[in-house]
Amino acid sequence: MTALPLAARRSRRLPKLPKRMILPAVLLALLIVTPFAAPLLTPYDPVQISVRDRLAAPSWEHWLGQDEFGRDRLARVLYGGQVSLTVAFVATSIACVIGTLFGLIGAYFRGPFEFVTTRLADVVLCFPPILLALLVVTLFGPGADTLVAVLSILYFPAFARIAFSEALRVSALDFVEASRALGTPSHRIVLKTILPNIAGPVSVQYSLTAAAAITIESGLSFLGLGVVPPAPSWGQMIRGARAFMNQDPLGILIPCVALTLTIYAINFFCDRLRDTLDPKGNAGGKDVTSVPAPGRAPVQEEADVIASVRDLRLELRHPKGAVDVIEDVSLTLRANQCTALVGESGSGKSLTSLAIMGLLPGAIRQADGALHLRRKQGGMVDLGALGPKALEDVRGNDVAMIFQEPMTSLNPIHKVGAQMVEAILSHRKMPRAEARSRAIALLELVGINEAARRFDGYPHEMSGGMRQRVMIAMALTCEPRLLIADEPTTALDVTIQAEIIELLQKLRQDYADGLSLLFISHNLGIVSEIADRVVVMYSGQVVEEGPAQQVLTDPHHPYTRALMESMPSAHADLHSARGDRLQAISGTPPLPDARPSGCSFRDRCPMALPACAEARPPLFASADGSRAARCIRAPEAQEAA
Amino acid sequence: MTPLLEVRGLNKSYPAGRKGLFGKRMMQVLRDVSLTVQPGEVLGLVGESGSGKSTIGKAILRLIPSSSQAMRFDGQDLNTLPSADLRRLRKDMQIIFQDPYASLDPRKTVRAVLSEALDTHDLHRGAARQPRLTALMEMVGLNPIFLDRRPHEFSGGQRQRIGIARALAVEPKFIVCDEAVSALDVSIQAQVLNLLADLRAKTGISLLFISHDLSVVRYISDRVMVLYLGRVMEVGGADQVHFAPRHPYTAALISAEPSLGHAPDRIRLTGEIPSPLTPPSGCVFRSRCPYALPACAETAPELRPAGEGRLKACIRDDILQGT
Repeated sequence: MTALPLAARRSRRLPKLPKRMILPAVLLALLIVTPFAAPLLTPYDPVQISVRDRLAAPSWEHWLGQDEFGRDRLARVLYGGQVSLTVAFVATSIACVIGTLFGLIGAYFRGPFEFVTTRLADVVLCFPPILLALLVVTLFGPGADTLVAVLSILYFPAFARIAFSEALRVSALDFVEASRALGTPSHRIVLKTILPNIAGPVSVQYSLTAAAAITIESGLSFLGLGVVPPAPSWGQMIRGARAFMNQDPLGILIPCVALTLTIYAINFFCDRLRDTLDPKGNAGGKDVTSVPAPGRAPVQEEADVIASVRDLRLELRHPKGAVDVIEDVSLTLRANQCTALVGESGSGKSLTSLAIMGLLPGAIRQADGALHLRRKQGGMVDLGALGPKALEDVRGNDVAMIFQEPMTSLNPIHKVGAQMVEAILSHRKMPRAEARSRAIALLELVGINEAARRFDGYPHEMSGGMRQRVMIAMALTCEPRLLIADEPTTALDVTIQAEIIELLQKLRQDYADGLSLLFISHNLGIVSEIADRVVVMYSGQVVEEGPAQQVLTDPHHPYTRALMESMPSAHADLHSARGDRLQAISGTPPLPDARPSGCSFRDRCPMALPACAEARPPLFASADGSRAARCIRAPEAQEAA
Repeated sequence: MTPLLEVRGLNKSYPAGRKGLFGKRMMQVLRDVSLTVQPGEVLGLVGESGSGKSTIGKAILRLIPSSSQAMRFDGQDLNTLPSADLRRLRKDMQIIFQDPYASLDPRKTVRAVLSEALDTHDLHRGAARQPRLTALMEMVGLNPIFLDRRPHEFSGGQRQRIGIARALAVEPKFIVCDEAVSALDVSIQAQVLNLLADLRAKTGISLLFISHDLSVVRYISDRVMVLYLGRVMEVGGADQVHFAPRHPYTAALISAEPSLGHAPDRIRLTGEIPSPLTPPSGCVFRSRCPYALPACAETAPELRPAGEGRLKACIRDDILQGT
């Protein structure tokens, strides 16, 4: 779809520090720097005892008052923060480096390394964290060093697991294989290729772990297993103030507020970091379906017209203004007819079909044009005039769609039959048993052997060809008059593809009272086998249309001709060994926001004239009105024929 | 002429779950595949999904472990080559992938991608680097000013050219093209095929061209090998195999190819492709073959001569004799 590259391009061109990261980064930096600036902020020593001033209230000398030993609380909370933060960040850093290293090595070299990484992590994860901490502290005695050791051991498995699973995913990508094929040494692949690509999730894990480490450090110090008194730490402060909670609530409040603020700042930072690193978080435009806009004029159509699209214009909403992705597309779909929509990726063929289904992505808006569909009861309805509820009723009942990848459209955890029965019951009120026999009859109709047995099978038990047959059966549950097939055979092997094409051909003849088929494909060979009419799209416009055999034997538009010429199957006489070249079309199709002036195809067209740059050409109809081409030279071609 | 690449009796199995308490179930994806590639020759590998064609490419490049009676490249035995020598040999054998999106590191610029190849083999260091990068970009039809861009700024066809430039950077003698044009639009596919045809003409490079598209394979290859379920069905000259197939599977594959104009008399295959876990006895194709005889179930057919320079693995000589 045309919308995707644009959105993707925007999301990846990130500045160094995105706007949304500024606030959390500043907040976090402030909270980390402040404790270490303690000597500048307070003249007092955090361990200096003054029994005379015990539990003194805040004053000009001692802003936060004094604690149970008369020590300055501001000094204690600041110096305590030094200890708490140092322990947390040093431990997290050690855990991060060791864990990531384990994960990377385990995932890249597999075999025994994988075993060691995963099992070691499992062993550590088996211990309840506090129990493990108690064990280590009992063995080595309390103190900041021991705390760092405990926390590192506690947290490295989390890093090992994240790094392992991410590195496993990245290692399977072709670019890592390409590096191996180049003979790049393993350590270089791991550090220069895999590590940068897993940095995102690992850094998020780092911030989460640091926050957790601060909490655990405070907890252990509170239990007397962490920092040894009188050295300050936030846990120590809570422990000391607990005894005087009733007389002096401020004492316990101060370290708690410090803890809460720090953890909040870290989590805030994590959340934003995760959003920033996740490309999906930036895509913008939620995937809500938009309802077609009401059409301008009511149309009178002949009785065999199943659907009509008039002057459809779709725009992609964009911060810099709307871009037309589809311009002036008109289609007439008739009963018992197969219309093929042909074009390369980005030509707008899928968007056109989604508009007929009322399933446009949220970022795309129908700016102009009208969509009409014949309902089974006979009348034409304006899709734009229907509410969401009525549209839902139309989908499935009057028009259905099948897609390229059948597996993504079938729910993998439900049995095939159950999914079909649900589809039938959602549109028709009938007893379950009747729905079941209907579903089995449909499976037989689409050529599935042992339909009753397959009815109770799961989608993953079927081959790709069989799943596509099931999708067709599901699309036919409510006997729609129009079936839209979006590249239904592209993911299938050629022998299976031939079977599916044959099935669609058979259905058109046998099924109910005539099925209109809108067949979307980039493959002109398939189109010539199945289609009655062909509509060729290029860069969001219809450039040529007409009876399939005429268009494909004598194309009038230079693009159609070039497309056919560039297919190797059309040139059985050419061979690379003899130095023959295929007639490729130079350049690439323009993006919707960068179409050339005048004719969209002119900068790739071998027959372009200066006049082609002046105005966008209209569709020139042939003398008998059966064909049309959007090219100022089309009348020449029509004459010659 | 001694072949550049010679593979004899290549086998590859993957463990696929357990059988009983102790037994491991193995799925054989390649059985007894032998092939040769002469200097300057393009060998096409065709087959449907699950035929093992991509596995052959990766096994030859030793990107995955496999077992074979012999695997020789440029006079060296790939089976016994120490890993340090293998790394050096990788300069001579390269790969181009199918997916132009997955095959480039999104975080590296084109310059970094191409430099990785040159650095690894210590080529064109220092002042010689920039002219080499410029030449590579021009060779694949990209403007050298794009060197400092990252992959997401390119279209699919342009990315595929970058992938080709990476493979060409080290001046290999042999490239595995693993469905290298399958993900591209028709008009772009023709551009990339022309680029490969030009490269053959200019550099005399050898290619192992893996694809499911028979017309593309016929155009680019000198000889074609047809695979089904990890077994070789037929080998022969590209035009011979395409226009006068000797094996029923090849014939069915070619007749299933959609073509412009007339609808061909299609050879109908029945049933689904069997699972490699439970291949049919005897000839693996017999369960779908319209010409199968009872004898086909007994022994796996040997690859045997079927006309000049051609081989087929089919016991029947009374069918598909056209020229």
